[in-house]
Amino acid sequence: MAEMMNRLDPMSRAASRGMSDLAIRNLFVIPTIAFLIIFNIFPLIYSLGYSFTDFRASSSAPANFIGLQNYRDLLADPFIWSNFTITAKYVIVSVTGQVLVGFGLALLLNRSFPLKGLVTTLLLLPMMLSMAVVGLFWKLLYDPNFGMINYALGLGNFEWLSDPGIALYAVALTDIWMWSPFVMLLSLAGLSAVPKHLYEAASIDRAGRFYVFFRITLPLVAPILLIAIIFRTMEAFKTFDLAFVMTSQPTTELISIRLYKMAFQEWQTGKSCALAYIVLIMVLTITNIYVKYLNKAKER
Amino acid sequence: MRKLTKGLVAGLGLFLLSGTSVLAQELTIFWAEWDPANYLQELANEYEAQTGVKVTVETTPWADFQTKAFTEFNAHGSAYDLIVGDSQWLGAASEAGHYVDLTDFVKENDVLSKMAPATVKFYSEYPGNSGKYWSIPMEGDAVGWSYRKDWFTDPKEMEAFKAKYGYDLAPPTTWAQLTDIAEFFYRPDAKRYGVAIYTDNSYDAMAMGFENALFSYGGELGDMSTYKVDGIINSPKAVAALDNYKKLYSFAPPGWGKSFFVEDNQAITENLAAMSMNYFAFFPALINPASNPNAANTGFFANPAGPGGDQFAALGGQGISVVSYSENKEEAMKFLKWFIQDDTQKEWAKLGGYTCSAAVLESPEFRNATPYNEAFYQTMFKVKDFWAVPEYAELLTALNQRVYPAVVGGEGTSQETLDALAADWKAIFAKYGRGG
Amino acid sequence: MGTVTSAQQKLGNRLANVMIVVALIVFLAPIYWIGSTAFKPRNLATTVPPTILFTPEVSPFVKLFTKRVQLKPNEKVDYDNAPWWEKIVIDGGERISRSGKGEVQLSGYPSRFLNSLIVAITSTFLAVAMGTITAYGFSRFKVAGEEDWLFFILSTRMLPPVVVAIPMFLMYRAVGLNDTHIGLIILYTAFNVSFAVWLMKGFIDEIPREYEEAALVDGYTRMEAFWKIVLPEAATGIAATAVFCFITAWNEYAFALIMTNRKAQTAPPFIPSQVGSGLPDWTVIASGTALFLLPVAIFTFLLRNHLLRGMSFGAIRK
Repeated sequence: MAEMMNRLDPMSRAASRGMSDLAIRNLFVIPTIAFLIIFNIFPLIYSLGYSFTDFRASSSAPANFIGLQNYRDLLADPFIWSNFTITAKYVIVSVTGQVLVGFGLALLLNRSFPLKGLVTTLLLLPMMLSMAVVGLFWKLLYDPNFGMINYALGLGNFEWLSDPGIALYAVALTDIWMWSPFVMLLSLAGLSAVPKHLYEAASIDRAGRFYVFFRITLPLVAPILLIAIIFRTMEAFKTFDLAFVMTSQPTTELISIRLYKMAFQEWQTGKSCALAYIVLIMVLTITNIYVKYLNKAKER
Repeated sequence: MRKLTKGLVAGLGLFLLSGTSVLAQELTIFWAEWDPANYLQELANEYEAQTGVKVTVETTPWADFQTKAFTEFNAHGSAYDLIVGDSQWLGAASEAGHYVDLTDFVKENDVLSKMAPATVKFYSEYPGNSGKYWSIPMEGDAVGWSYRKDWFTDPKEMEAFKAKYGYDLAPPTTWAQLTDIAEFFYRPDAKRYGVAIYTDNSYDAMAMGFENALFSYGGELGDMSTYKVDGIINSPKAVAALDNYKKLYSFAPPGWGKSFFVEDNQAITENLAAMSMNYFAFFPALINPASNPNAANTGFFANPAGPGGDQFAALGGQGISVVSYSENKEEAMKFLKWFIQDDTQKEWAKLGGYTCSAAVLESPEFRNATPYNEAFYQTMFKVKDFWAVPEYAELLTALNQRVYPAVVGGEGTSQETLDALAADWKAIFAKYGRGG
Repeated sequence: MGTVTSAQQKLGNRLANVMIVVALIVFLAPIYWIGSTAFKPRNLATTVPPTILFTPEVSPFVKLFTKRVQLKPNEKVDYDNAPWWEKIVIDGGERISRSGKGEVQLSGYPSRFLNSLIVAITSTFLAVAMGTITAYGFSRFKVAGEEDWLFFILSTRMLPPVVVAIPMFLMYRAVGLNDTHIGLIILYTAFNVSFAVWLMKGFIDEIPREYEEAALVDGYTRMEAFWKIVLPEAATGIAATAVFCFITAWNEYAFALIMTNRKAQTAPPFIPSQVGSGLPDWTVIASGTALFLLPVAIFTFLLRNHLLRGMSFGAIRK
């Protein structure tokens, strides 16, 4: 039995014999990649395959190959284009807001003061809630008739979610409330890595605060901040629950809401797979640009 | 070592097997999470006491009910033996073979004469008038109205109303009166508003709300047998109905752009509106003083008649169907057989379920049981429903995309809106080869 | 401007403190509202102005844990012989639903909560472990097509869950993983591992290689150097990654809804289901939410020192 355990536990074996770097690399990297490939390959191929058909998962009718028809229909649908415009607006507003608020909070917290641990934990609370629940509560908070926000700010009957021009920003505001802490925590980790002696040197050089911030702080925090931005952008692109629970406006119909309706209400499986691929290509492109910046930031 | 391996393999096997239930003496019914599902569980407990068959009612949030049910169907899952599904699902679920054909069961057990005719027509039969049945009417439901009795009977209000409109303030019997009363009570300065209606466009709420105007105005969604829509959904009657629905929205409380059953009930409990549209199934919460501080002052009326005297309401409610992929179909049939018995239906009504049994509905005992049962009884013989074709959800999406901006955003004229909707629907039907 | 006097610094500090207090108020007001509503009687839940002073009640929690139905007009209940917790429910216009044998029926919440704990803890552990070693592998060794592989790992998180759900469900059903804890654990691990790899690589890249190289010279094996030098230095990253992964797995909604039925259901879909009966009882929704927030909050609070220690050694850059 002991022998068996030994054989099953590569870590201890490796430690005792000293694995080669190559073996360690393979052991560390290959299982994860293999796992992700196995796990994702079927859904990816399935979706791609059906995106060229008129398949409906809810029907027993066989799928017919229709070539690029779904893609053509989607790109010609004005409602879809408006969904994309709305999503772009939402992603920009909400991610920018999160970075500004989150990074600002991190700057405030990046020093020692009493109860720092508690304060940080408390500020992280919003992101610990589930999106659907946050949507429910914020819909209530925004309510013009018995919501707390209008009461607290003395806004009377201000219609946060029913005004087509405001609703999207109201949802983005909730998203900023919820996810700024995420950016804050990562920025904080990055900020604390900036060596003190760099600041001291700057202070001897009589460097201005802006100079210190843009030339020392920001470049050093940039890599981790960019990772935060990449993930927030990807998540914002996928935002569904929040907007779906809070509003009904055509001006807040994000692409993922359209996708949900197409896939799970209308059961146009083939068409929704095509739309998903369009979304995927967009997100891939945007992320690719970010990652290029990230690599540049690291080289500096 | 070998023993250990054997044990592991056996354990793994058991673990994998446990994914599918093979116990015959158990049934699972799937429904949305709401009070009637709890009543059904209590009814099922009695079935267990009588037969020893354990019946579990499994639930999911309303917003996810359709998604969850069809995901399970489409994968031919056997997790549920019976399902209490929406009437619109009939087309999709029967054409794809998800539901067991209950035509013989319905005929052998005389369901047609036991249940109210409208309920069998809308909850069980597909396609319309085909004589093929896929479910047993379980929870009858339709849209009705609640109103503030105290506001309506306030002598000062009554006097002012009479002076302004020339007739007595009372629960409306026509859409014209309904609109007058909504206008009368619309007082933003006093934070009081006229009427609460459905507007949510995330699924079927907008359609269910607008239908009440449309049907009472004598309008129709289209011809249910030829799928002709042009000239019907955009007929003058339909246009007038949409005009009226838009007018009602202007008397709704602020922030009424995403409202469905929860918001409409809150309009009554939070003193926001004089009248509120809602499914009867949600009225129990309004007569419960613990959830509605105005319970004693809340009254109910049936959807009023339109200008031509037509009076119809939008159908809600569900029938119960046997899932084709169930491993316990025999047991499920036995349960249905028990469910349609008169005694069971009486008990179902007593527990709080909205029975579809004609005998129970007509009994004075039922009609006097709550302040709204009478209105419910009247309504259930005058209901109409949305399309039940498999692509109903695409029709809903088109309706939401056209009607929502018109009602909530005030965009375009009603004629333009419904012309566009007619074109959308025509294209959808053409895509699926329906009509000409 | 260059030299900062101590007076200026004090003022700056004080200003920063004020801003932190403001941020705390803004960020916590909705949470406070949820937390206080969890103990309110139902009629005070949505009052305007909000009720600040009230006698706290446990009734929302009793309701949260039991299956209830509304009392019908003239319905008779045995109030006098009911235990105290049932009396609270009856006072609220409802009664507790009982099985045929008269047993109190529990709501789905307790079992779902337990399932959430099992799934979230296990998948977080796996995702962080895999993420850390893989990040180390990418950070320290040459991998052919490194950037492409990393981008592939990232891309697994880009598809909207809505689309993956249908094929994933079919796949799970085929191998018998639907409605099992293992199934959800694998799913959440896969979902979080891309995040864990990227984040951990960000942190491990910052740890100077010189540390390990010195250890290798001292006779450590590469594996020992990883365990004894790199891991402790990466503690901040591991803590942050663990917190994020835990939060994601803990709150995941779409897959939890579709992939599970009775055995492995987690709690997030339960809470919104409470709006089903026409008038939501906000006190129950709030109590369910508050209780559900507790494990994550405690987990984060316990890790706070790691989270805040930062990459304390400072980055030595090339």
